[in-house]
Amino acid sequence: MTEPSVTIRFDGNGRAYQPGETLSGEYRLDSVRREDVKAVEVSVLWHTDGKGDEDLAVHDFRRLSAEDGDWIDARSPGRFRTVLPKSPLSYQGAIVKLQWCVRVRVFLARDREVVGERPFQLGDVPATGARES
Amino acid sequence: MARSFRLYEKKRGNRRTGSSKLGTAGEAVFFAALALLGCGGLAVLFVTWVIPEWRANHQFARGVCTVLKTQVGEKQGDDGTLYRPEVQIEYEIDGVTYRVSTYDIHTVRGDGYGTDRDDAEAMCGRFDQGEEYVVYYDPSDPYVAVVIWGSSWRVWLSMIVPVSLVLIGGGGLVYTLAGWGKSAERRAAIVQQAAQFAPFSGNGASKPDFPYVPVPTNITNSPGTKLAFRLPVVGSPAWALSAWLVACLLWNGLVSVFVVIVIGSFVEGHPDWLLAIFTLPFALLGIGLIAFFVRQLLVTTGVGPTLVEVSDQPLQPGKRYRLFLSQTGRLKLDRLELLLVCDEGATFRHGTDARTETRRVYEQPLLCRDGVEVTGGVPFQTECELAVPAGAMHSFKSGHNEVTWRILVKGSPARWPDFERSFPVIVYPSVNGKSDR
Repeated sequence: MTEPSVTIRFDGNGRAYQPGETLSGEYRLDSVRREDVKAVEVSVLWHTDGKGDEDLAVHDFRRLSAEDGDWIDARSPGRFRTVLPKSPLSYQGAIVKLQWCVRVRVFLARDREVVGERPFQLGDVPATGARES
Repeated sequence: MARSFRLYEKKRGNRRTGSSKLGTAGEAVFFAALALLGCGGLAVLFVTWVIPEWRANHQFARGVCTVLKTQVGEKQGDDGTLYRPEVQIEYEIDGVTYRVSTYDIHTVRGDGYGTDRDDAEAMCGRFDQGEEYVVYYDPSDPYVAVVIWGSSWRVWLSMIVPVSLVLIGGGGLVYTLAGWGKSAERRAAIVQQAAQFAPFSGNGASKPDFPYVPVPTNITNSPGTKLAFRLPVVGSPAWALSAWLVACLLWNGLVSVFVVIVIGSFVEGHPDWLLAIFTLPFALLGIGLIAFFVRQLLVTTGVGPTLVEVSDQPLQPGKRYRLFLSQTGRLKLDRLELLLVCDEGATFRHGTDARTETRRVYEQPLLCRDGVEVTGGVPFQTECELAVPAGAMHSFKSGHNEVTWRILVKGSPARWPDFERSFPVIVYPSVNGKSDR
């Protein structure tokens, strides 16, 4: 049996955006039965991934919950759309790295979770190499 | 891939993170235990101290007694003998005469001991044998009577510990349970939403237009004399000097005790050579500290204040600005440099410690002068251009990570140690996030 998974696609297949641009796309749940889905969370977020402890901030957060009466159809794709902020921009530094992504978390029956994530670039700050310690 | 409960989750970098559910359960148990401990302590305090005291103050009946005798009661405690005042009284209620040894409600309950005998004697001294005093007795058991009533400060003071445990444990438990079963994104969304209503904005809640870029308030509130803004200096040399002075005084204060003993032994004609040899290296280190402090004092007072002004703030990548430097003091500098630097800072947990690592990722010389002479009353002043590189990362600050930009002034005084002064600037993201290269 195929494992449940989440596929995320950006409109126009773009992966680099500028502040103030609209990010939109859709997510699809694969190998998931409709009655198994308890809730779906769609987040546009950034997180750090360098030497320091991870910081995470959510720019846009939507939660659909079957318990709250939201209609979740696992067979048809869900959509997301948000205007991106002016900062912080994506950054690949020496010990500080900042990554933007769209993350879809699906809560299934029997306390299971499926997470899908698709990174994208906000702004065009080039990667930095350490010049001096 | 679907996943249910696991003891260990995915590896992040070279770290394996534990199960968040197990961690949350552990936190909940810990906070619940703290809260329970606090509740238990409070319950014991109420039963043994608060309720008996309240009953004595509010439910006991008033009468008159005669003092028969006063004495200091004693008992052996873990740390020695304990004392309490004991007053033998006689009183009559409804034709029945009662004779008891009492003081306050704690004495009646078998407690009321302290470590100070004088205190107990002074309390006894308030009562004279054969005199009449007011007595409060329990109507349901007239043998329970007190000649001292009111609230004891000890009762309220002793509540600090259990109340703190209840607050910390209860608060932690509520916070943990509020986040139970919620994803990291949902918790972050809740925290961010709550932060919007906080009276004082926190770390990340900077200017709404530019989230997570530090607000440039502190560096734009001081107008310059030559250019628009005077930049504040980070880490005043006066503080460093004060720290060295304290260290110097503490060290030499301790060592001087041994030095006095050693000198005394020599003066008395019975030299203590062992102590002298032991003290010598510490005394030499003390002299070194004094020398270093005097040197730092001369450098700080000799170099004088450094002023840096900038034509505009906040800065933007790809744009050019004017910088003004003014160096006062009385010294000759082999070299004076002005630099624009960018540092990354990352704070991480290492065991139980929180450590911060910084890494310089950009350094641009703005000005370099050799053989600069600064004379008293005539500061060295110059202007130069500041060009923020196109495509540079903007200033950034989150809970554990930051990107900071600074103007550095480095000086190499002749015959003196180098000095460095730091002036923070804020770099905003470029317009539309494009690097303008």
